[in-house]
Amino acid sequence: MSKFYVLTALMIICGFAARADNHATEATAAEQTGTAALEQEVDLEAAEKIFRKSCRACHGNKAQGAASYPKLSDKSPEYIAEKLEIYRSGEKIGPNSILMISHAKKLSDEDITNISVYVATAFD
Amino acid sequence: MGHVTSFSALPVAAALLAGTAIWSSSALAQSGMNTTNLQHEIVLDGLENPWDMAFLEDGTMLFTEKCSGLSVRLPDGVVKALYGVGETEGYASNGSDLFCEGQAGMMGVAFDPDFADNRRIYVYSTSNMSDPHTNRLMRFTLSEDFTEVSDRTDIVDDVPYKMAASNHPFGGPGAHNGGRVRFDANGHLFLTTGDTHNGQVPQSPTMMGSKVLRIDTDGNAIADNSPPDGFDTRTYTYGHRNVQGIAFHPETGAAITAEHGPWHSDEITILENGGNAGWDPRPNMAGRGDCPDGYCGYSPNQEDGMNRYERAAFMPMTDFDTYPDAMAPIWNNNGWSQGTSSAAFLKGDAWGDWDGAMVVGIMGIGFGGTPIGQRIDVIQFNDDNTDVEDVTEMTLPMESGRFRSVVMGPDGSLYTSIDEGTIYKLTPGG
Repeated sequence: MSKFYVLTALMIICGFAARADNHATEATAAEQTGTAALEQEVDLEAAEKIFRKSCRACHGNKAQGAASYPKLSDKSPEYIAEKLEIYRSGEKIGPNSILMISHAKKLSDEDITNISVYVATAFD
Repeated sequence: MGHVTSFSALPVAAALLAGTAIWSSSALAQSGMNTTNLQHEIVLDGLENPWDMAFLEDGTMLFTEKCSGLSVRLPDGVVKALYGVGETEGYASNGSDLFCEGQAGMMGVAFDPDFADNRRIYVYSTSNMSDPHTNRLMRFTLSEDFTEVSDRTDIVDDVPYKMAASNHPFGGPGAHNGGRVRFDANGHLFLTTGDTHNGQVPQSPTMMGSKVLRIDTDGNAIADNSPPDGFDTRTYTYGHRNVQGIAFHPETGAAITAEHGPWHSDEITILENGGNAGWDPRPNMAGRGDCPDGYCGYSPNQEDGMNRYERAAFMPMTDFDTYPDAMAPIWNNNGWSQGTSSAAFLKGDAWGDWDGAMVVGIMGIGFGGTPIGQRIDVIQFNDDNTDVEDVTEMTLPMESGRFRSVVMGPDGSLYTSIDEGTIYKLTPGG
């Protein structure tokens, strides 16, 4: 079964300016970084593996949020990608940053693209 | 062979969001040499962080949602929203002082053993009525028609609450409130509490975090509680980290806790009246130096994975060097911390060899190389009921989740809630 899909993914071009403001809101981050709509081949099978291994236990099986872990399914791919980039850099942006940094630092750019689109779209 | 689930991580799951659907799944019942065949039903879905349940003999079920409030599901499936957190809409009445933050909010719930006569129920929740805020155990009267509560009386109003963020994992406000509310067979009311990421709380004689309180239904200490001199007499045991599970052995009556460890060592402990569970995360003692924000609970190396036994040696969950008489855990989850939350004892012939065994709900974490471990474990005791003889992971007939609560129902089924928003009913037999 093919697990590859071609989706239009909004990819954040993250720069240092965005990372410098660790409390940036989604809107302000978008303003600071700009976004570009790119045709990306998104590997949803790979994303699902990451989700089940690294995301699901806290954020819930449908990314609906659980306990003190926020809902992700209502976020945009660019929002999720931006936050993962920040966590991957080691920057703390919330009370569960230590957990997020430990997971995000293992992710490649491609992984972040995949998981961001998957989480934002798979549970609609 | 891996078990089949009907819960996909993909969009079909949206079909399960109906509020009170009962979804039968006998086709998914398990068979195996070492486990009880189970069926499951979805009792309620689409909930917001369901935290605890309590039952009457006719199947009436109280349940809490952490940020929403207290509701009751009647035997015919009708749900009545009784008492809302803060200004949450849709409830018959609200506690304007109640709020949720991080791990805090509305948690444990229990029926009075004499409910048929006095209509009393008990609910534990975070409140801003005091400053600093506290966790409170509230007593209510539930109306004859199960549509509203009244006569709120805060029988415990002084369980500490973490007001500000700190430099720790899960370091936001509202951490470690404990939260389970249970009656034993003697009618004594037990409330479990947590350390609020405060190094001073667990061994404090007066701060009521990190304790198991044993009280009457007015909040007064049980007369034969025997904590050390100088302790608040409501204290049954102390020196805990964050107890979210407590159940009573069906033969011995002993109170037994299931406790969430730091980056290591979840524990099950048979409580002893007045006992010390041996958790003491203060800095500058027991061979430790300074720790972030005065709390060594995740030290050393709190931001990265490391060997769990090295962690345990540095910051033991039960510190026998400092407290040689501490209560010894009978299970430590193989040295892992995976989010052990709640506990109950299975009851009924239908459970076969598991009749009388303890079940423990584990939420799963997965930090620093720790296996996530979401599951329900079945803990079988030895003949003397003094130690663990065997542990079996329950083969679940549905996808796992963050098992916040396990409660034995009057129908012989085990009910479990997951943080993701579902209350399941697990029934032995196929």
